[in-house]
Amino acid sequence: MAGAATRPHYGGTLRVEMREAFESPEAMAPPAGFVLASWEAGRRALYTADESAAGGRPYLDSIEIQMGRPLRDQSTDLELGKADVVELGPNELRRQIAGRKVWSSSPVRLMALVFGPRVEDERVREALALAVDRGAIHSVLLQRQGEISGALLPQWLSGDAFLFAPAFDGARARSLATALAAPARTISLAVSDASLRPIADRIALNARDAGLVVPVSAQSVNADVRLVEVRMASSDPARALAETAADLGLAEPSRSDTPEALYNAERALLDGFRVIPLFHLPRVFGAGPRVKGGPGITRLGEWHFENLWVEDRP
Amino acid sequence: MTFRTRLLLIFTMAVAAAVGVVELVVSSRARQAFEDMEAKRAEALVTQFNREFARRGMEVMRTVESIAASAAARDIAISPDASSYVDQAAALAATHGLDLLELVAGDGAIVSSAEWPARFGYKEDWLATEPDWQARGAFLKREELPDGVALALVAVGTASAGDRKLYVAGGRLLDREFLSTLVMPAGMRVLLYRNLAPEFSPSELIGAPGPAPGAARLKSLIEQVARERRDVTATVGRGAEAETFHALPLTGYESGLLGVLLIGSSRRDLVELEASMLRTAITVAAAGILMGIALSWWATARITRPVRRLAESAGRVAAGDWGATVEVASADEIGQLAGAFNRMTHELVEQRDRLVQAERVAAWRELARRLAHELKNPLFPLQITVENMQRARESYPEQFDEVFREGAATLLAELSNLKQIVARFSDFAKMPAPEMEPVNLNRVAAETMKLFEGQLAKARVRASTELDAALRPVQADREQMTRVLRNLILNAIDAMPEGGTLTVRTVAPETGARLEVSDTGQGLTPEECERLFTPYYTTKTHGTGLGLAIVQSVVSDHKGRIAVESEKGKGTTFRIDLG
Repeated sequence: MAGAATRPHYGGTLRVEMREAFESPEAMAPPAGFVLASWEAGRRALYTADESAAGGRPYLDSIEIQMGRPLRDQSTDLELGKADVVELGPNELRRQIAGRKVWSSSPVRLMALVFGPRVEDERVREALALAVDRGAIHSVLLQRQGEISGALLPQWLSGDAFLFAPAFDGARARSLATALAAPARTISLAVSDASLRPIADRIALNARDAGLVVPVSAQSVNADVRLVEVRMASSDPARALAETAADLGLAEPSRSDTPEALYNAERALLDGFRVIPLFHLPRVFGAGPRVKGGPGITRLGEWHFENLWVEDRP
Repeated sequence: MTFRTRLLLIFTMAVAAAVGVVELVVSSRARQAFEDMEAKRAEALVTQFNREFARRGMEVMRTVESIAASAAARDIAISPDASSYVDQAAALAATHGLDLLELVAGDGAIVSSAEWPARFGYKEDWLATEPDWQARGAFLKREELPDGVALALVAVGTASAGDRKLYVAGGRLLDREFLSTLVMPAGMRVLLYRNLAPEFSPSELIGAPGPAPGAARLKSLIEQVARERRDVTATVGRGAEAETFHALPLTGYESGLLGVLLIGSSRRDLVELEASMLRTAITVAAAGILMGIALSWWATARITRPVRRLAESAGRVAAGDWGATVEVASADEIGQLAGAFNRMTHELVEQRDRLVQAERVAAWRELARRLAHELKNPLFPLQITVENMQRARESYPEQFDEVFREGAATLLAELSNLKQIVARFSDFAKMPAPEMEPVNLNRVAAETMKLFEGQLAKARVRASTELDAALRPVQADREQMTRVLRNLILNAIDAMPEGGTLTVRTVAPETGARLEVSDTGQGLTPEECERLFTPYYTTKTHGTGLGLAIVQSVVSDHKGRIAVESEKGKGTTFRIDLG
């Protein structure tokens, strides 16, 4: 009976929840094998199985996506059976939920601090870069997910991320901060994603130890520095670097046909501490016990729902 | 100021002073009672605070101990990787109603912090310094929070699993909410100064409603408590805004002064009570003063009426009415005084009558003596002449005719002399009533002096006339005033047998006229001056002694006054003041 219950079959709706809230369908990558059936901007999207999909019709009849859902609520919904696939953050990973499957991609999300144009003094940027204790954040707040990084591209993608090893040097950071005028020692840190707030608070605390005053707020307008996440959408290093630079508001990197060129281009982007890479994190999803098949994501963390089916019976 | 006014003032001041003294005494007693009551209330509040503080401490201690004894704490203590418990403190603090909670590993590293979640991994080395946190109990501690520094009542518990240890440091903030749990009587408030900054910071002074306004005025008191580390009581502010603060130092972990508790008692009630008492006192004083005025008016009237009558009677006596008496209306001192006055005036009248009688007898004697003296002088030549004539008729008949002629001439001369003497006495007796008319005394003086020019020259007396041109005519009898001036001039000439200076002077006072006659003669003694105007008294070897008596009689008939000033060896001045 159990084997019969897990056999693939057609039908059913997969309920997916996500943090991001897209205003238009074009902004969101559609799940392969499905076509858009209805769209409520920023709230809900419904995709139905494409009968003429190249790889054959998916098992699922439809995918219902709820957008703008906080990570904690997603995890709760998964636990209560209100959702089938949700995103998992480090905090949610710590919770042990019976029957939950975890799908993790390669580290494709870059978490970084990005300075705005107002912070012209490189010493401020360098002081903050040296003040951040990435290790504590990685081991506690990120529960050792992903990698500590000082590079824009993850190790698995570029192969030379280890050359951008981040430095934590509180003494040097304090020395740089002390040399600054008092007004320059205050820099506002914006974090628009509430799930990143604990990391931002820890960065602010590290900065405080170095002599910087870093008030944290959710408002990114006029902030001196922002804590952001950028997702790699390409497995081509040069393309990924270019897309990442664009997402971070950096100049377009020089053409990089060789590993050396790629390294130099990345090094050039990081010079001046306009961007301080912190971590490379995987995309992590949790799937409920209804969901069969899988894994439901690719190495880059894209949805891969064509081979999933749902089991409605207990 | 009259005696009655003085009495009135004394009574009024006495009433006002009495009311003032009563008000002062009552105000002082009320103030003392208020101060005692305030002190007791402050003491009660201090006791209440200490009790509440101890209760909160016990509560925090129990809570922390229960957390330390929980399975969750034990799990964290034994866990080889505590990183997954980073959010545990916040959950436990919320569950147990603590404002602050930190779970700290045995090595002092924070595993989880409720008040500052980002501080995981930071060291809290002070936790390892105390061997027995349970015995230490709850204590005040300065706590650093993301948004500043706070004061907290903290306790530490420990959870042990084998050789692993977990410190549970939890507490409650000493803040507005804590202060609001203290039940304050009306008019009192409690403030807490959190001594968390090196310098006095007004924003650290809070009350149950929020930041305390006017914190700066408590600066010196707080600094005194911080300096001396003892309870201090002081009154801050003035008037109805004044408050008495009882300030207690709050020491904390490692005996540092972490706060100052201020129990304030408004003095508004006292000020209003004092103001009310003052208003009442003023009202009572005003009523008392009015009543005092009325009573003193009545009383002084009773006292001063007989005194006034006495004064009036004395005035009448002074004016010459020696028969004036006062009604004796009481047997007290005033009555005795009135009786004594009446007896005095009665005695005065009797003495005056006796004196008049005696003077009359003396005057007659003097008159008789004078008459005898005056008449004896001419009578002696008359007797000699008659005897000569008899002797010539008997012994020398041939010479009788010649003797008779000479004797007859002598007799006629002496008879004329007798007649003149009689006429002078007759003139004094027949002094007529003055016929008043406007008289220019300057002119009278000038004309009279002219008449005496020859006589003055013969007597080697220099005449000086100083007449005030501003002198206005006065009502007088011209003839009599001329006679007065003549008599005074003659008197002056007689006073200067060796010559000298005679000065006749007129002066124009504000009212009436003044006439002065001065000589530079030998002057008079005070005794002579007193008797100068007595009829038939004279200091000269000749004269009847009626001249100055006539002068005084004329001046008196003119309702004027005559006075004499004299200094022995320098001269005499007669001064006549008319209407």
